[in-house]
Amino acid sequence: MSELPQRQTDIGPPHYSKFLPPVIKENYGKWKYHEILSAGVMVHVAESGAKIWSVRVASPRLVSTDFIRDICEIADKYCDGHLRFTTRHNVEFLVSDESKVEPLVNELKEKGYMIGGIGDRISNVVHTQGWVHCHSAATDASGLVKALMDELHEYFHTKELPAKVRLAVACCVNMCGAVHCSDIALVGVHKTPPRIEHDKVKNLCEIPSTVASCPTSAISPDPAKKSVKIKLEKCMYCGNCYSVCPAMPIADPKNDGVAIVVGGKVSNLRSNPMFSKLAVPWLPNNPPRWPEVVDAVKTILNAYIEGARKHERLGEWVERIGWEKFFKVTGLPFKMQHIDDFTFARETWRMAATFKW
Amino acid sequence: MSQKHETPLLDELEKGAFPSFVKEIKRAAEHSEYAQDLLGQLELSYKEKVTHWKHGGIVGVRGYGAGVIGRYSDVPDKFPGVAHFHTVRVNQPAGFFYTTDALREICDIWDKYGSRLTNMHGSTGDIILLGTKTENLEPVFAELSSRGWDLGGSGSAVRTPSCCVGPARCEWSCYDTLELTYQITQRFQDELHRPMFPYKFKFKMAGCAVDCIASIARADMSIIGTWKGNIQIDQEEVRNYAKNGMDIQAEIVDMCPTGCMSWDGNELKINDEDCNRCMHCIAKMTKALRQGEEKGATILLGSKAPIVTGALMSWVIVPFIKLEPPYEELFDLVERIWEFWDEHGKNRERVGELIERMGFPVFLKETGLEPHPAMVKEPRRDPFFFWSEEDIEK
Amino acid sequence: MEKEELKKIIYELVEKSMGKKKLKQSDILKKVSKDHGVDKQEVKAALRELLDSGQLIFTYFGGSYVEIPPKE
Ligand code: HEM
Ligand code: HEM
Ligand code: HEM
Ligand code: HEM
Ligand code: SF4
Ligand code: SF4
Ligand code: SF4
Ligand code: SF4
Repeated sequence: MSELPQRQTDIGPPHYSKFLPPVIKENYGKWKYHEILSAGVMVHVAESGAKIWSVRVASPRLVSTDFIRDICEIADKYCDGHLRFTTRHNVEFLVSDESKVEPLVNELKEKGYMIGGIGDRISNVVHTQGWVHCHSAATDASGLVKALMDELHEYFHTKELPAKVRLAVACCVNMCGAVHCSDIALVGVHKTPPRIEHDKVKNLCEIPSTVASCPTSAISPDPAKKSVKIKLEKCMYCGNCYSVCPAMPIADPKNDGVAIVVGGKVSNLRSNPMFSKLAVPWLPNNPPRWPEVVDAVKTILNAYIEGARKHERLGEWVERIGWEKFFKVTGLPFKMQHIDDFTFARETWRMAATFKW
Repeated sequence: MSQKHETPLLDELEKGAFPSFVKEIKRAAEHSEYAQDLLGQLELSYKEKVTHWKHGGIVGVRGYGAGVIGRYSDVPDKFPGVAHFHTVRVNQPAGFFYTTDALREICDIWDKYGSRLTNMHGSTGDIILLGTKTENLEPVFAELSSRGWDLGGSGSAVRTPSCCVGPARCEWSCYDTLELTYQITQRFQDELHRPMFPYKFKFKMAGCAVDCIASIARADMSIIGTWKGNIQIDQEEVRNYAKNGMDIQAEIVDMCPTGCMSWDGNELKINDEDCNRCMHCIAKMTKALRQGEEKGATILLGSKAPIVTGALMSWVIVPFIKLEPPYEELFDLVERIWEFWDEHGKNRERVGELIERMGFPVFLKETGLEPHPAMVKEPRRDPFFFWSEEDIEK
Repeated sequence: MEKEELKKIIYELVEKSMGKKKLKQSDILKKVSKDHGVDKQEVKAALRELLDSGQLIFTYFGGSYVEIPPKE
C-alpha cells in the first residue's frame, strides 16, 4: 500500500464558507423573502435583488458514492459545482442563473430523480439504520421508508396537504431521529423480554456491567447459575442488555413489529411543539413491503386530509377534535397499551368530565 | 462484479417510484465486496425478520474515543465481506453545503477504503461512511484529516453540532447559525473526540422558531433564534396576498395563537406586546411581514429521546441572548452547565434528566442563572418550596 | 508531580479496576486529582498522552470508558 499522509487531530470540519456559492456569500444574512415556484423549486430573493433558485430532489439517504458522483456531475453542469443537503436527506441544487433552472429540472426528470418536498407536502423521511447496520433493530428502516413512500410519493412531488406532514422511522425504541416529535412516525418494537442463555453468559458477559446496563433495574445476578435473572414485569424490552451481553438475545421474529405514533411537531408555529402519541401499538413485520403498516399510515393520513383545516398540522387537528374522535374517524382500535403507565402517565389521564361520544 | 447472492425480497424494493436504497447497494456492489455481502446479509434479515449485527465496543482511531461505530456480523462465515463493518462519522460542514470537489474527495477515499456506501447524512448531522474493516480505520482517518476533514462525535461526548440553513439562505434567521455551529465545534474539539461526560451532549442551532433542525426535540442544548421589537409590516404586500386569494382573516388572524392580530380588509394590525413570536404569520406572508429588529436567541436545555425515563423537550433557561462572535458568554454558560453535570450526573444520565432529579431551581442556582417567568408555563401548584440561609431573618 | 509519574498512577488505577468497575474519563480525573492533590488539567494532559500513545484506549459499552487495550 502506498505511503499514508500525515494524520491531524482536532481540526474540526472545514469552514462552511469554502463551500458557499458566490451569490450566497454576497447576500449572506441579507435575504428578504422566498417564493415556492413548484413542489421542488423555490427562489430566494435578497435585499440587493439577487436571487438563488433551489431545486430539491429526494435521496434514499443510503446512497452509493456513484450516486454522489452523479449529482456532482449535474451540479457542475448547472450550479458551478455547488449543492447542499437538507436535514431530511434531500439534495438541493443551488442555481444562480435563472436560465439554467428549466434545463436542470428537465435533465433531473429525464434521469428519473424525484423533484419535490417543498411546501405543504410530505418531505423525505428521517430514519435510522435498521437491519442495514444496527444490532438493536426490531425492524428495518430503509425498507419501511421505501415501502411507505412508494405509496405516498404523489404527496412529495405533486399533491398538497393541509400543512406539512413530517414522517420518520426508527427501528427501535432508542429512536435515533426526531421520531418522538413527528406527524406520523413508525417505531420498531420488541414485545418479549430477552432470553437468557445461561451456559453462554459465563463466557461471553461481564455480570456487573450486564446488571448495570438495564435502565429499569430489571436485571440482577443469579449466583447459583453464575448468570443473571430478569424481573419480567420490570422489563420494557429496550434491548440494552443484549448490547452488553450477547447471550441475552431479544430479537424475536414472530413478535417484533412496528408501532405507529402520531401528532408530534417541533416547530413553534401557532401551537407549541408536541410529542407524538401512540396510535397503533403493534403491527407485524412483513418485509419487503409491510402492507399492514403502509395501510394504517394511509388511513391516518386520509382522515387528516379529510378533517384538517388549512395550515393545521396533524397534531393540531387531533387536539382540536380530541383523541377520542381521532380513534373514531380513523377506525383504529383503542387498546390497553394506549393508556400510559410510564413516567408521565398521570398527566395524560382525563381529569374532566367532558369528552365526545 | 457479478452479484454474489440471490436477493428476491430486496429486489422487490427496487421497484416503485421512490428512490431505492437497494439499487444504491447494488451499484456499490459492482465494485465492493462489502456491499456484495451487505446485500446477502440484508436479504437474510428480510427473510428471517431479524438483525444480524453485533455490537463491538473497542474500535476507533488512536487517541479518539469517538467518531467510529463498531459493528460485526453475527454470520461472518456466510458474509465475510461484512465480518467487520464499522461506520465512520465525518463532521459535516455547517449547513450541509458542499462543492462537488469536496464531495468527490470524500468519495475517492471511501471507494478506496470502505464500502462505497454512505448516509447523507446521519440523524445527528454527520456524513456517515457506512462500513469498513478495523485495519482501514487509521488509513481512512489519515486520508480524511490530512485533507481537512475530521471525525464527528459519538459515545459520552459532545455530538457533532448541527444547524439549519440559517442566514445562508433563509430570511428568518435571527443569528448566524452556521458560524455559531462552526465556532462551537472548534471550541469543544476535545470534548467531542475524547468522551468525558456522563452521557452524550448535543447542540443544535435553529435560526428561528420554525426550528428546521428539530433542535427542541433532540438537542441537550437547543439554541433558537428570536427577536424583540415590533413585527415590520408592509401593508401593500399584505393587500397583495389578499388580492391573490389568501383569506387573511381565516389563515392568519384566526390562527394567531395569541389573538393579537386584526384585519379590516385593508390594514393588518398586530399588538406586538401580546405576540409570542411563533412565526406563523411571518412564515405564511414572507413578503409582507418581517421580524422585529433586535435579534438574538432563546436557549433551551434538556431534550432527549424516550430512553430511559420518557422523552423530554428542551425548556427555556435563557430567554434572550445576543449571539455574536466571539460567543464568550455562551461558552461560559456551557462550561458552567457541564461542571454541574460532571459534579452530580450519574453514568448515562442526560443533563435534562439530572435537572429533573435535582430540581430546576438547584440548577439555576449552581449555574448562576436568574429565574424568569419565561422559564415556566405556570408557577408551581404546591406549597412545598424551599428557602436558603440568606432568605431567613435571623 | 512529574508527568511520567502521573501517567504511571493513572495506568495503575485503570489496571486495578479492569474487570471490576469501568472507569470514565471524569472518574479518573476526579480520583487522581483528589488522591494526589494535582490539578485536573494536569491529570488530563497525562491521560491524553496515554491515550495518544495507545497504552490506554476509549471503549464504548453504553457509555464511554477508559481501558487497557485487549491483547490480541
Ligand atoms: C448498555 C448497553 C449499550 C447501549 C445502550 C449502547 C448504545 C449505543 C449507542 C448510543 C451507540 C451509538 C453511538 C453513539 O451515537 O454514541 C452505540 C455505539 C457503539 N456501541 Fe453500543 N451500546 C451498548 C453496549 C455496547 C457494547 C456491549 C458494545 C461492545 C461490545 C458496544 C459497542 C459500541 C460501539 C463500538 C459503538 C461506537 C461508539 C464509539 O465509537 O464511540 N456498545 N451503542
Ligand atoms: C438513548 C438513546 C439512544 C441510543 C441507545 C442510541 C443508539 C444508537 C446506536 C446503537 C446506533 C448505531 C447504529 C448503527 O449501527 O450505525 C446509533 C446511531 C445513531 N444515532 Fe442513536 N441512539 C439513541 C438516541 C439517538 C438520538 C435521540 C439521536 C438523534 C437525535 C441519535 C442519533 C444517531 C445517529 C445520527 C446515528 C448514526 C446513524 C444514523 O443516523 O442512523 N441517537 N444510535
Ligand atoms: C399543605 C398543603 C395543603 C393543606 C394543609 C390543605 C388543607 C386543606 C384543608 C384543611 C381543607 C379543608 C378541608 C375541609 O374543610 O374539609 C382543604 C380543602 C381543599 N383543598 Fe387543600 N390543602 C393543601 C393543599 C391543597 C392543594 C395543593 C390543593 C389543590 C391543588 C388543595 C385543594 C383543596 C380543595 C379543592 C379543597 C376543598 C375540598 C372541598 O371543599 O371539598 N389543597 N385543604
Ligand atoms: C399550610 C397550608 C394550608 C392551610 C393550613 C390551609 C388551611 C385551610 C383550612 C383550615 C381550610 C378550611 C376553611 C374552612 O372550611 O373553614 C381550608 C380550605 C381550603 N383551602 Fe386551604 N390551607 C392551606 C393551603 C391551601 C392551599 C395551598 C390551597 C390551594 C392551592 C388551599 C385550598 C383550599 C381550598 C380550596 C379550601 C376550601 C375552600 C372552600 O371550599 O371553602 N389551601 N384551608
Ligand atoms: S433506532 Fe435503534 S435500531 Fe435504529 S439505529 Fe438507532 S439504536 Fe439502532
Ligand atoms: S431489555 Fe432492557 S429493560 Fe429488559 S432486561 Fe434488558 S435492559 Fe432491562
Ligand atoms: S429554523 Fe428558521 S431560520 Fe432556520 S432555516 Fe428554518 S425557518 Fe429558516
Ligand atoms: S408571530 Fe405568531 S403570535 Fe406573533 S403575531 Fe404572528 S401569528 Fe401571532
